[in-house]
Amino acid sequence: MKNTLLLITAFALTFSSCKKDKSIETNLEVNFSQTVNGESLEQNTLQYTNADGQDYSVKKLWYIISDITLHSDEGENVIKDYHFIDIDNPSTLSFTINDLEDANYTSISYTMGLDSIKNISNVYVNEDFHTTMFWPEEMENGMFMGGGYHYMKLEGNYTNDTLAFNTHTGGTMGMDYSFNHTDVISLIIDALTINTALTINMEVNNWYQNPNSITLSTDGIMGNKMIQMQIKQNGADVFSTTIN
Amino acid sequence: MKKILLLFLAISILYSCKKEESPISGCMDVLATNYNPDAVIATYNCEYFLATPYIIETPFGFPDMIVPDNNPTTIEGVSLGDKLFHDKILSGDESQSCSSCHKKEFGFSDENRFSEGIDGLLGDRSASTIINAGWNTRNFWDGRAITLEDQAFGPVVNPIEMHDTWPNVENKLNANSEYKQLFKDAFNIDYIDSTHVSMAIAQFERTLISANSKFDKYLRGETQLTASELAGYAIFNSEKGDCFHCHGTQMFMDNLFHNNGLDPEPFTDLGLGKITNNASDNAKFKTPTLRNIEFSAPYMHDGRFSTLEDVVEHYNSGGEYSLTVDPLMKKLGVGLQLTNQEKQDLVAFLKTLTDSDFIDGN
Repeated sequence: MKNTLLLITAFALTFSSCKKDKSIETNLEVNFSQTVNGESLEQNTLQYTNADGQDYSVKKLWYIISDITLHSDEGENVIKDYHFIDIDNPSTLSFTINDLEDANYTSISYTMGLDSIKNISNVYVNEDFHTTMFWPEEMENGMFMGGGYHYMKLEGNYTNDTLAFNTHTGGTMGMDYSFNHTDVISLIIDALTINTALTINMEVNNWYQNPNSITLSTDGIMGNKMIQMQIKQNGADVFSTTIN
Repeated sequence: MKKILLLFLAISILYSCKKEESPISGCMDVLATNYNPDAVIATYNCEYFLATPYIIETPFGFPDMIVPDNNPTTIEGVSLGDKLFHDKILSGDESQSCSSCHKKEFGFSDENRFSEGIDGLLGDRSASTIINAGWNTRNFWDGRAITLEDQAFGPVVNPIEMHDTWPNVENKLNANSEYKQLFKDAFNIDYIDSTHVSMAIAQFERTLISANSKFDKYLRGETQLTASELAGYAIFNSEKGDCFHCHGTQMFMDNLFHNNGLDPEPFTDLGLGKITNNASDNAKFKTPTLRNIEFSAPYMHDGRFSTLEDVVEHYNSGGEYSLTVDPLMKKLGVGLQLTNQEKQDLVAFLKTLTDSDFIDGN
């Protein structure tokens, strides 16, 4: 009897030994969308109006979101260190995590731009955004520009097609104007979850209002600490997250 | 009973891990010396001919250069490319080489606004500089070639440039015993073809690296800039001059295409738009590096400006409005309003990007 059991065990092992593990991995797709007044952003026409009453268009929108982190009772799960978005380049509008850990995620947090620990000149020299988002290090009128990278380049026309604005945000003169944002979510990942997705939306017009009404102009704002601070304050209601 | 079980077990062990009968496996890369044309399944045992590797050092603040996998840079290949670049054998009547229009002393460009081809015909764009071209993600002013290998195919057969044919060039090179040996050494080939000519030229171009200007020495703390150069640097790097958004980083270019407000519509040269067939790309041209800009006059894609002062004056004027003008040109019609001193300072700074070792060295 003992021998028979042994044989049966050996027999079972023989069959199972060539079988692959088949544990379920969860794919999480993170999407980035952009809206104005809740409608999908449409580029290149003067169809939006800011709190100051200026009509404006959006021609270019590039930005960096970093420290994208899911939170659960078990702790933090950093899913991506930094991500560059160019709304004209579809491949930048999403990324996928292939092995999201099972948990009951109750919130997501992320940083607009790069915080002072990450925002160092030439750190991302091999990233595509290095040449396009770089922020000068040296002086403007004798002052230190800070180096690192732009958090955002939001460009377009206002009032008419010949007037251009550049809303370029970043750590001017070494100040850290990045900010962390948290959204409450309900994302339950268990052994049976295969695919799930969420979308982080930027409500573009909110950069220019609440609490500070920003007036668009042809003057650059990269060296303007006051406007950088005001835009950061306006950023509190710019982002939101939905589970798809 | 036990015997039957044992037999069953033996059979199951034999069969359970047995592989399917496999089709022919082998190296499927045509570039490998052991390429197997009958192979259906790729293996990793491809063997390649390799000449002596040429190490490209990445200068401070530059990304790693992306070199095509099928054209690694080698000492033999670079040396061959150097010879080909300077050899008039590549043109129809053997009167011009690449270096006839990409002259080292002029920052590997042409001091003439438009270059004259072998038949005396003029182009309609200024010869591009090929300084640090190994970092270009697209080539030509309109970006019509992706790699340097693709680029090198063009001028040899362009009727207004070297006006030869590739079969003719191949015949001339194959009849030359010295070239036969050099191509053998560089690529292990017995018949010279246009593909390997362009590969050798591309390898040579990847070694044309300039990153040791007065400005680089200043960043390394080895020299000082004058008050005027420093003032120019501040204008360059602030939104007052706003040069850095396109000519930024240590590369002094962004690898992108812009309409910098040279002309109102209708455009005479559609630039990138002609290649992409997208009207929103009309009149956009590749940002050139500003390194050694002192020597690469005349300036702009059509060489319309003969001095750096003219270039600064263009940006100072604000530029012309058109549908595709870049929003970075945000002072259209108003201008930057730089003082004469500030303009001089800006030009002084631009001249700190001169790399004498690169222009004068071997």
